[in-house]
Amino acid sequence: MNKSRRNFLKTSAFMGASIAGVASTKTVKGAPKNILSDDRMGVLVDTTVCIGCRKCEWACKTSHNMPTEPIEKYDDRTVFEKRRRPNANALTVVNEFENPNGKFPIDVKVQCMHCDHPACLSACIVGAFSKEENGTVLWNGDKCIGCRYCMVACPFQIPAFEFDKAWSPDIKKCDFCFDRTKKGELPACVEICPMEVLTYGKKSDLLRAAKEKIRLYPERYVDHILGEHEVGGTSWMYLSSKEFTQIDFPKLGKNPAPGVTEAIQHGIFAYFIPPIAIYALLGGVMWLNKNRKQTEHGEDE
Amino acid sequence: MKKIFLFIITLVLLTNVNGQVKKMGTSHSQKALICENCHSCSIPTKENPCLRDCPRESIATTKQKPEEGPDIIVINKLKGNQDIYKEVTFSHRLHAEMSEMSGGCVTCHHYNPPGKIIGCDNCHNSSRKREDVNRPDLKGAYHRQCMDCHREWSGGVECSACHQLNTKSPSKEKLITGTIKKSHAKLETPEKITYKTPKAEGKTVVFFHKEHIDLFGLDCQSCHSNDGCVKCHDQRPASAKPKMSVELKHKACSSCHDTKVKSNCVTCHNDKETNGFNHLISTGFNLNSYHSKLSCVRCHTTPGKFTGLNKNCNTCHGTWTKEKFNHKVTGLVLDEIHLEFDCESCHTNPTYAKPECSSCHDDYTYPAFIPGKKVKR
Ligand code: SF4
Ligand code: SF4
Ligand code: SF4
Repeated sequence: MNKSRRNFLKTSAFMGASIAGVASTKTVKGAPKNILSDDRMGVLVDTTVCIGCRKCEWACKTSHNMPTEPIEKYDDRTVFEKRRRPNANALTVVNEFENPNGKFPIDVKVQCMHCDHPACLSACIVGAFSKEENGTVLWNGDKCIGCRYCMVACPFQIPAFEFDKAWSPDIKKCDFCFDRTKKGELPACVEICPMEVLTYGKKSDLLRAAKEKIRLYPERYVDHILGEHEVGGTSWMYLSSKEFTQIDFPKLGKNPAPGVTEAIQHGIFAYFIPPIAIYALLGGVMWLNKNRKQTEHGEDE
Repeated sequence: MKKIFLFIITLVLLTNVNGQVKKMGTSHSQKALICENCHSCSIPTKENPCLRDCPRESIATTKQKPEEGPDIIVINKLKGNQDIYKEVTFSHRLHAEMSEMSGGCVTCHHYNPPGKIIGCDNCHNSSRKREDVNRPDLKGAYHRQCMDCHREWSGGVECSACHQLNTKSPSKEKLITGTIKKSHAKLETPEKITYKTPKAEGKTVVFFHKEHIDLFGLDCQSCHSNDGCVKCHDQRPASAKPKMSVELKHKACSSCHDTKVKSNCVTCHNDKETNGFNHLISTGFNLNSYHSKLSCVRCHTTPGKFTGLNKNCNTCHGTWTKEKFNHKVTGLVLDEIHLEFDCESCHTNPTYAKPECSSCHDDYTYPAFIPGKKVKR
């Protein structure tokens, strides 16, 4: 992890140089990798069957070697008294919402959505994020300089920063269990979920299955697949019995989140403007973004 | 829309046909069933039954008795690389008995064609990583069946209710094996149930349970088709009970009573405990021995409408004539002389109550003098 200023300068100088060097061929080495494969994988989260057992939280931590309580402790439901967000110690969390029209409350697992056009990737000035062929949006610690633009850019407020680590804090977010899927295994949360709330499959198949569910059980679902169109589409998609804003999802448009930052950033690198200018400019964008976000969701944290 | 409607009708018909089927010795392919309702290919085989997704109980269903199924099932079909829990011992018979009190076998076996009952793994893939993502895998299917009741039962989702950690000693199996021979006590129908509601005016609702059954000829399943154990055995503290909307609270009643109309509240909601519905007191018409066994709809033919009838017999019965009416049903066989008269000669009243003797006989009154012979009705 090289967060020191010197390393940052080195990285960006290298990136700038390589961009300038190969600009005519249009293949930009070192720029973020953004593959949008037709066969990319995804997860369909059917919130109507989730029971809030939080085994997904346990499995996620265990598979990522993060400290966790023993599995029996996850039966404790008092955690639902507070609304939680994924953070540096938990890449995924389950929240519970009241459901006056049903027998049971509504439980909703949240984690990175693995956007098709990730705002985190666009916002990152050093290309620490990549969209992999299987749909994963991956964060690469070697490149990250700790600027936290990704946190501001993400429309789902996912990337978390290890504030409690003084020396080499990382950005933490769900990595779609990239190490496991590479080996042909299922993501840990998908594998453990007793109810198969989380269906893993090709995104196109999942979309078809989701539409079929809505068609067959119109009284069970709202006619909306979150992630089909939101911010340009996401690999993780949700079905719900309630409007998504009622289960704490932000209201989002169909366009990929901030095309602005992407344009600015690439423009800057193309013309090789010194990093200090980037800081000033992006600082402004960040501030704008932040303001916009606050007016959008009010007090979500 | 029309298509769906036709489809539903076919399903309903099918259910009726098969509801009568007790136990089929032979293969169900010989029965008068429409293959396409359950199978998506033209030649289904045992290996590839190509069953349609989740047809639920609306398709071919037989009724079995709890004893016909296995007592226990050891669920060990789901083996992973590193299993957290031990295999599960499932007390099938006990659960079948419990199901019998509400929905029956189809509570879980939504596919229950004549012949051998199809196990979950016939349709639900035991591997989560699979091509067909339309239908839940086996692990999901199992848990979706269990959790609906178990979650309601405890208000939580403790895995330990059925699962035992691989690291623990095997005490759980003993516990479950101990329940296998247990049977549920016989259910008794309560006379009435009194509810205290949070309504400011009309706190008390008395539900005349027995009366509803008798009057409307209901089965337990007519209302309790989807009840879990907590319906009766609710151990949850008030704080753990889910908050229900007004609609949901009235759901059981609203299929017959219109609970949306404000002026209807008083039908059930009162400040004090009420007595059951008494036809004589409330309407002045005595449902004596002639009408006491009839269901309401025999006379009140428009559902939900109970007004508009009067006490006169001919409102329902039309005009009686001496030829059409067998007087014996009243417990009185008329003698030859009186048999000759029109009904109205004696029954001057449109309710055909007490006969009037005075138009022919001075000083005669009924029942001091009887125009015939009393018989047993
Ligand atoms: S493991 Fe599955 S059922 Fe349990 S909380 Fe997570 S998503 Fe919901
Ligand atoms: S949800 Fe946020 S962190 Fe995840 S890919 Fe999308 S923008 Fe990036
Ligand atoms: S996909 Fe992997 S990293 Fe993401 S929430 Fe699930 S277990 Fe955690």
